[in-house]
Amino acid sequence: MTTKTETFRDAPFPATITRRGFVKMGGALFVSALFPSGFRALAVENQGSPDPTLLASWLEIRSDNTIVVRTGRTETGTGMSAYYAQAVAEELNVRPETILLVMGDTEKTPDGGYSAGFLSGMSNVRKVAAYTHQALLGLAATKLGVPASGLIVVDGMVSGGGKSVSYGQLVEGQQLDLKIPVEGKFPQIDTTEWMGVAGLDGFTVTGEPPMKAMSQFKVMGTSYGVPSIADKVTGKTKWSCDVTLPGMLHARMVRPATLGSMLISVGEIDKKQFPTAEVVRKGNLVAVVSPNEWEAIRAARTVAVSTKWSEWGGMPGSENLTRTLRAQKWGAPSEKKGKEQEVHTALQRAAKKISSTYEQPYVRHAPIGPYLAVADVRNDGSVTVWTHSAQSQGLRTRIAHTLNVAVEKVVVLWLEHSGQYGRTTYGGDGAEGDAVILSQLTGKPVRVQWTLQEDLAWSTVSPGWVSDLKAGIDANGRITSMHSAFYSPQESDARLLGAILAGMPTTTSKPGMWIATEWPYEKISNRLEEVYGMPNMGADSVYGGLRGNIMRTPGQRQQNFALEGLINEAAAAASADPIQFRKEHTSEPRLIELLDATAKAAAWEPRPSPHPGARKVGSGVVKGRGMCIMLRANSYWVGIAELQLTLPTGEVKVSKFTIGVDPGKVINPRQLERCMKSGVVMGLSEALKEEVTFDKEKVTSTNWSRYKILTMEEMPEIQVVQISRDDKGFGGGSEAANAVVPPAVAAAIFDATGVYARRIPLTPDYVTKLLKGEWPSKSSRS
Amino acid sequence: MANEITLSVNGAKQVVSVAPETPLLFVLRNELKLSGPRLGCGMAQCGSCSVLLDGQEIRSCVTPVSFAVGKRVTTIEGLPAVWAAEKGLSAEDALKTLHPVQQAWIDEQVPQCGYCQSGMMMVAVQLLGENPNPTVAQIKDAFTNAPPSPHLCRCGTYAAIIDAVQRAAKAMKA
Repeated sequence: MTTKTETFRDAPFPATITRRGFVKMGGALFVSALFPSGFRALAVENQGSPDPTLLASWLEIRSDNTIVVRTGRTETGTGMSAYYAQAVAEELNVRPETILLVMGDTEKTPDGGYSAGFLSGMSNVRKVAAYTHQALLGLAATKLGVPASGLIVVDGMVSGGGKSVSYGQLVEGQQLDLKIPVEGKFPQIDTTEWMGVAGLDGFTVTGEPPMKAMSQFKVMGTSYGVPSIADKVTGKTKWSCDVTLPGMLHARMVRPATLGSMLISVGEIDKKQFPTAEVVRKGNLVAVVSPNEWEAIRAARTVAVSTKWSEWGGMPGSENLTRTLRAQKWGAPSEKKGKEQEVHTALQRAAKKISSTYEQPYVRHAPIGPYLAVADVRNDGSVTVWTHSAQSQGLRTRIAHTLNVAVEKVVVLWLEHSGQYGRTTYGGDGAEGDAVILSQLTGKPVRVQWTLQEDLAWSTVSPGWVSDLKAGIDANGRITSMHSAFYSPQESDARLLGAILAGMPTTTSKPGMWIATEWPYEKISNRLEEVYGMPNMGADSVYGGLRGNIMRTPGQRQQNFALEGLINEAAAAASADPIQFRKEHTSEPRLIELLDATAKAAAWEPRPSPHPGARKVGSGVVKGRGMCIMLRANSYWVGIAELQLTLPTGEVKVSKFTIGVDPGKVINPRQLERCMKSGVVMGLSEALKEEVTFDKEKVTSTNWSRYKILTMEEMPEIQVVQISRDDKGFGGGSEAANAVVPPAVAAAIFDATGVYARRIPLTPDYVTKLLKGEWPSKSSRS
Repeated sequence: MANEITLSVNGAKQVVSVAPETPLLFVLRNELKLSGPRLGCGMAQCGSCSVLLDGQEIRSCVTPVSFAVGKRVTTIEGLPAVWAAEKGLSAEDALKTLHPVQQAWIDEQVPQCGYCQSGMMMVAVQLLGENPNPTVAQIKDAFTNAPPSPHLCRCGTYAAIIDAVQRAAKAMKA
């Protein structure tokens, strides 16, 4: 393709993006007399990334008073780039608009770590800002001849004794020589570690610099806008899919016919039809590359048709998932805690016992934009990767391992792209493996764009679960004991697919699960929790089968569905209102206040479920309401669902969802509201629609009409309740909302019909079978 | 085989040399370097590639470039000029202007990852052109039931989109 036009914008940005040897830090350092003593400077093997013990690696004050903040964490679509700016602005007493964030670039950012781990990421930059603030006060005291205690700072202007100076003037032409105390390390391949990679947490800024009291906040607690939104709306954002490099090839992958097929022979390209296209192959990794994207697409389609693969069929089929999990010999639990003897005794003495089994299918992250990566692997051993991964340092380590090059030779640059909801948290999965291998083989920069079908068939998935729970209830209707056991395939396999198929080195986690529940019912003291793990489904495939990975609100999303389901069943067994029943099992004032506030917002009428008019047969529509709670990362959540169920069809329509949160201090009310409402949408999607289907060979839910997600029309009215506190620290808010939806919807179906739904998704087919008693769902009461 | 094809994109004449069956999306992105429309499903199931063709939203991932010949193609990059022309703004003022839909998307902080939002804004512009005062039900209908498929947002920003469409509707009447 050639283009003749004079009205172009400039060549796309990537031509100027090779920044090897870029000045790593612009600002400067100084030693402040006020700096708290007592920390040891850490000898850091910084692998070519900026040294996290140096202030200038994190923060740079420019003479125009703008402040550059660098973090290896990235924006994942929930607004944390706004919160980072707010935290820094708060401690430095500047306006958040003056903060420029540099994120996820291994050559320019010092810390690494999980992007989803916002609270630790924010703590890092907030402490860096607080240390810097103290240092700047010291500088200003000297400059103005006024003791630091007599200085005030407003919008970056330090005043005292009738004089003032801006931050920019204070540091102009100076080196700010300030050390930042940190703990941690960069990721390293370590097969003895559970994840197969150590150091994914990155660095933590330590010490206790003086920080503002929450009651004094001026920027945190306001609805500061997410900095990147204006450019996204006007077309100025440079996404990872916009990267183009001189001589770059477009690649489309030709994937194995099944999750375990080995390559027999590669199809050929008709060079008359596709003169610039070439097949590239390593092991079972097959791709078609061309300088022209459309030619690569068409040629790859023809190559896919004529490429031959061996047969494989080692999966159970998704309709047999629960049966297969039930038949698994689980061995010892991955984790077990609680009072085993007390629980058994209490269960035996209980006036009533409830025993229930819950099931969840495989679901997946399903981003709107399929995976994409661009890689430039040079003869000199240097590797540059443009990615939308949420773990730049972890990805860098994995790539170095796969290509057998020194980590220092690899640069990973993060750019915005489609949300992934935890899929790249461990630095793997993704198209980066494909891209670096193809670039190495071709000697050219390569852009790998997965197709949707490929993404829905070959990316990692959130595995299915079965859960067995028991509760004992005394004569007063109180739960005296609870036993929960959760069973699931591996959920932390973040290997790079390209490396797996090419037969190159890549490490994975060990099978096993973790107890994700944070216990909100301290009055239920007798409890026993167990989790069991197994390898991936289809693990005997050379590629490891259906690779399980974490997804938004991991572990707790699945465990809370069962736990809150059982609490709702226990409330019904005790003929108690579900909200009142919960209040009787906790004395936590935050939870009780949130329950009351959310109930009030939803106009909740106290009564037991099911509804007196509940029925499961006949014509017409029945109505129900249900609720659940969750405690996660110092945030309390309450969800209340109201729905209508059409009995003849089994169709469930959620008409309203009320969601309440107490996350300690609310950092950004509007953005939290956006995350709560969008989390409810994702949660309803999981509750009503989502299921990864597979046959014995492969995933079959490989487009949007087979992997259905919620549409706008299916979204109910969503009401939000927020409680902000100045004395309980910060809690999580970006995720978790999705996890308080399925248990509430299941409870509302029970309210409407008297039949408890112990499985999601609540599709018309499943609900119809459930109401007819045709679903094999175990439950008993005695 | 490549043909010379003349297009009208965001008010400018563009001549490209491409195979006529090439999907418009790849011409806009790779030849004209417009990053607003983005590849999603590649089969008209999600709407992230949507652009306006003579004011009607189409899926550029399945629309051959030849189909766009003689029609006006508008991407989010061209929305400010569309609004400036509607309001008869001077060239100088037009440069400082955003389409009310874009401004509403900023004011309501709609995008999360933002990948699908170019397509969402295209639906909003078409809807508000046809119905200056849509109800919530009409907004939901436009984003869900217009062929060939619902516009999908995996981040779940639907509530924010409804807020923004209503805000833009007010701004456009002002």
